[in-house]
Amino acid sequence: MSFEPKIVGFLCNWCTYAGADLAGTSRLQYPPNMRPIRVMCSGAVDSVYILRALLEGADGVFIGGCHPGDCHYVSGNYKTRRRMVLFNSIMRALGLDEGRVLLRWISAAEGKKFADTVTEMTERLRQLGPSPFRKLWEV
Amino acid sequence: MGKIGLLPVKDNRPIQTLRELFVRWLESGRVSALLVPAVSPAGIAAPVLWSDPEKASQIYPLLPVMGINSAGVVAEIAADKAEGSRLGVVLRPCELRAVVELIKLQQIARDNLVLIGVDCAGTYKPTTLVNELKSDAGELENWITGFLTAQDRYLKDERLRRACQLCEFPVPLVYDVALGFLGVNPKEQLLIQSASELGDMLLSEVNISPVAAVPAERQVYLDHFIQNRQEQAVRMIADFDRTALGPEKLVRYFAHCINCHNCMKVCPVCYCRECFFDSEVLKRDLDGYIRVSRRKGLNRMPADTLLFHLTRMNHMMTSCVQCGICEDSCPAGIGLSVMFRKVSREAQAAFEYLSGRSLEEPLPLTTFREDEFRQIGED
Repeated sequence: MSFEPKIVGFLCNWCTYAGADLAGTSRLQYPPNMRPIRVMCSGAVDSVYILRALLEGADGVFIGGCHPGDCHYVSGNYKTRRRMVLFNSIMRALGLDEGRVLLRWISAAEGKKFADTVTEMTERLRQLGPSPFRKLWEV
Repeated sequence: MGKIGLLPVKDNRPIQTLRELFVRWLESGRVSALLVPAVSPAGIAAPVLWSDPEKASQIYPLLPVMGINSAGVVAEIAADKAEGSRLGVVLRPCELRAVVELIKLQQIARDNLVLIGVDCAGTYKPTTLVNELKSDAGELENWITGFLTAQDRYLKDERLRRACQLCEFPVPLVYDVALGFLGVNPKEQLLIQSASELGDMLLSEVNISPVAAVPAERQVYLDHFIQNRQEQAVRMIADFDRTALGPEKLVRYFAHCINCHNCMKVCPVCYCRECFFDSEVLKRDLDGYIRVSRRKGLNRMPADTLLFHLTRMNHMMTSCVQCGICEDSCPAGIGLSVMFRKVSREAQAAFEYLSGRSLEEPLPLTTFREDEFRQIGED
């Protein structure tokens, strides 16, 4: 059987989760590889959740939030953005930056963008192969 | 605001000169007590909270020994604003930088403190010097004076703590008063500087010869010193990269972590009252652990050690001062100091931030601009 990546998705309640809903009600087709988790704000996604998903066997982590300026809580997504800069620089410094973590701004009106993003990410992870931490589980 | 002067050293004894300086501030009431390195008659090196001038002979400012980062002590005893007490803290550059971070994290009340920074050419673990820290006070003072005047020797000494071997911050960055011995011939004089009104006031109580600027030979020596340390940092980080980068090597690097959390407990800037990793959040019941075991086939115990380290880095790297005390506390001998030096400086650089550089610079994760990092989150 060919490799099917598992993606854990953290979707902001006000934008990306509604965008995912719109993709569904619009009957858009996209790969079923993402397990969505609804969070109240992308700014609530601490790095520990991203890391735990990766270390426990997820092949990728997706975070979806409102476009800059559109945050329901005014500035949560700006903080998400800074935290991603920090996360990326740490992963890069440790040689772990494989592009398995993706942040995208997707509004409630962008069902198509949500479906396209999941499709693209799934395809990219298929190329990349399973997360190296899966086979390092035993250590 | 901001004076510079030279403090004459009597009888080739810089340590005694500083003791007398501190006694003067204690007696004038400018400081109620001082947190300062000391060595007890039994030969025990540790910071002490010193208030009695009679005990001055046990005080060893500039003692090149570091068993803890004293910023943690400052946070423990001076978290809240106090009426009437003023604590002088005699700290190395890395400790001062941690104090600055803790003030910004609202863990230390700045108003009660007199920040007295001292030059640092590097420190030893207390255990490294167990035979050298003689109980004979005169011998010990000579040994320290020898260290202070050793010039380039401390650039090559492999017994120094590893974090010190690649440290490029020999002088305090934020202070009320700074005391310098590098490049000024400390057997004859010490450099004394102030950077606040309080510091000016403290300087005005002492007989110093004012100078217009930092002596040129000091600046030349500091440039040479810092360049040496930077070259050493490049070498040590290259070694680290060879042994630790990438998932396989990184897992091996942390393989022997016993999950004691010492690195977090001794970290001066790890300030949470209860760490997420000491909480119940990640704990499972037996059914839960067996479920994980069945999913993976086998599950390393204790669980989540790598998760702990990677998360700790994400939480603390913007405030890490690279003091390396985490490494000294690790019973498994994990090389945290070089790793944290590399990772924290790169993480801070992403925000054009440097931990402990300024009280005004906001902590990177407490601020944002609308027009920054625009490529993040876009296709």
